[in-house]
Amino acid sequence: MRRLNNLSESSDYLTFRSSVPLRNICVDNSDGKSWKVYDAGPKSVRCPLIFVPPACGTAEVYFRQILHLSACGYRVIAVEAPRSYWNVNDWCIGFQLLLDHLRLDKVHLFGASLGKFWMLPAIFLKRLIMPSLVTKSYDPDIIEAVDFVAEKVVLPFQVNTINRLELASRLTLNCASSRVHPERIRGLQFVTIMDVFDEYALCSPVREEIYDAFPNGKLAQMKTGGNFVYLSKYEEVNVHIKIHLRKFESGSYSAILVPYDTS
Amino acid sequence: MATKKKGLLKVIILGDTGVGKTSLMNQFVNRKFSGQYKATIGADFLTKEIMVDDRVVTMQIWDTAGQERFQSLGVAFYRGADCCVLVFDVTLPNTFKSLDSWRDEFLVQACPRDPENFPFVVLGNKIDLGNAAVPSKRAERWCQSKNNIPYFETSAKDATNVEQAFQAIAKNALAQESEQDLYNEFPDQIKLTGDSNRFNNNDAGCSC
Ligand SMILES: Nc1nc2c(ncn2[C@@H]2O[C@H](COP(=O)(O)OP(=O)(O)O)[C@@H](O)[C@H]2O)c(=O)[nH]1
Ligand SMILES: [Mg+2]
Repeated sequence: MRRLNNLSESSDYLTFRSSVPLRNICVDNSDGKSWKVYDAGPKSVRCPLIFVPPACGTAEVYFRQILHLSACGYRVIAVEAPRSYWNVNDWCIGFQLLLDHLRLDKVHLFGASLGKFWMLPAIFLKRLIMPSLVTKSYDPDIIEAVDFVAEKVVLPFQVNTINRLELASRLTLNCASSRVHPERIRGLQFVTIMDVFDEYALCSPVREEIYDAFPNGKLAQMKTGGNFVYLSKYEEVNVHIKIHLRKFESGSYSAILVPYDTS
Repeated sequence: MATKKKGLLKVIILGDTGVGKTSLMNQFVNRKFSGQYKATIGADFLTKEIMVDDRVVTMQIWDTAGQERFQSLGVAFYRGADCCVLVFDVTLPNTFKSLDSWRDEFLVQACPRDPENFPFVVLGNKIDLGNAAVPSKRAERWCQSKNNIPYFETSAKDATNVEQAFQAIAKNALAQESEQDLYNEFPDQIKLTGDSNRFNNNDAGCSC
C-alpha cells in the first residue's frame, strides 16, 4: 500500500528511540510486574511531568512530548503499567510504588482518555479501540497518528498472545467503572482539559461528565486532532502543556530546570 | 450538511505592551476591569461561548506579552488563527505606528492561506481618557489602506464598544472559516463516488 508518512520512520521518532532509553522497573516482587519507563530531561527536576497512556496506547505514543518538551528543559517521564493489573486499585498502588522508586512525591500528570476510566461499560470494550483506529479524516497529521498507533499497539496485540493478556488487563482496568470517584478529584485546582472539536471516540455525555468533574479546569480546545491529538497536533498540545506548567515555574513544583527567558 | 458543526474560533491579540490587550480580553470574557497594571506573563488564552447569527461558537482568545516571550511557544501559537486583533492606545501615537510591524509579524508567523484577505480587526483603546492623540481619521485611513480592516474605538475601562468589537471579530473569523470548510469538505464528496482510498486524497489538506 502506498503510504503517507510513516511516523515510526520519522526523524522525530528515530531521534527519540536513539536518545531516550527504555527502562523496565520492577516495583514489587511478583513476575511480570515491571513498568516501562521513559525518563528524559534533567534529573534534578523533582516534580516532573508524567504521561500515562490511554488503554489502547503504549508509553511510546507520547514520543513527541518526551522529545520536544525535554529539549526545552522539562523533565518528562512516560510510564506504562505492567500487565496483570486488573483493577484501578492495583494500578494506583503500583503507580505509587513506582513514584517511590523514582523518589518523586509530587508530579504533574498527563493522561489521555482519562474519562474512560470511570465512564465506559464493558460492552464498549471492542468499540473502544477499534473505531479509534479508523479515521474519516483527510488531515494527513491525523492519518499518520492513527497509523502509528495501529502499528505500535494493535498489530503487536494481534500477533502476540502474551500481549493479549496485557490488553485484556488494560481493558478491564478501563471498564472498572465504579473505582474512580469523580467527586474526589473535583477539588483539584490546576487542571487543564484538552479536547478536540472534531469527531473522536468520546461521546458527548462523557465529555460533559469530564467537564463537570473539573469545574475549575481550564479548557484547552483544539479544532482538530482525532483520538491521538498528542501525536497528530503535538505542537498545539505542547503549547497547552507549557501554559499549564508555567504557573508552577518559579516554585518547588517546577517541571523545568531553567525557566526559559523571562525578559 | 444536516448537523451544524460546533465552531471553535482562534483569535490572537497583538499590540505594544500597555495598550490594554489583557484588559480588553478580561472586559469581554469576564466583564471586569482592573486599573492596576499587571504584566502579562507569556501567552495565555480565555474562552467564551458567543452567539453569532443563531450559531453558538466558542471563541478562544489568545493574549500575549512581549514578542520574545510568545516566540518561545513557537509557530504553533499562531497556527490555525481565524482572526488577528491589533490594538493600540489612542493616547500614544507610537503604539499606533507599531501596527504595521505587528501585522507583518503575524502574517509571517501564521502564514495564512490567503494573506491579502486574512481578517484583521483594529482597536484604538483607552478612548475614555479623552485626549486622543491619534485621530479617528488617521486610524481609519490606515485600516482602509490594508484592505478595509474594520476599526473600533474602545475602552476596556468602561466597556465602550468592546462587545461590538468582539462580535465583529467573530463574524470576520467565521466568514474566513466557512471559506476553509469548502476546502475541507471537498474530499468527502469524492468519497461518495466509491473511491475510499484515503491516501489518494492527501493533497486536499495541504498547508501554506
Ligand atoms: N483608562 C483606561 N485604562 C486602560 C484601558 N485599558 C487598559 N487600561 C490600563 O492600561 C494598563 C495596561 O493594560 P493591560 O491590559 O495590562 O495592557 P497590555 O499590556 O496590552 O495587556 C493597565 O493599567 C490598565 O488598567 C482603558 O480602556 N482605559
Ligand atoms: Mg497583557
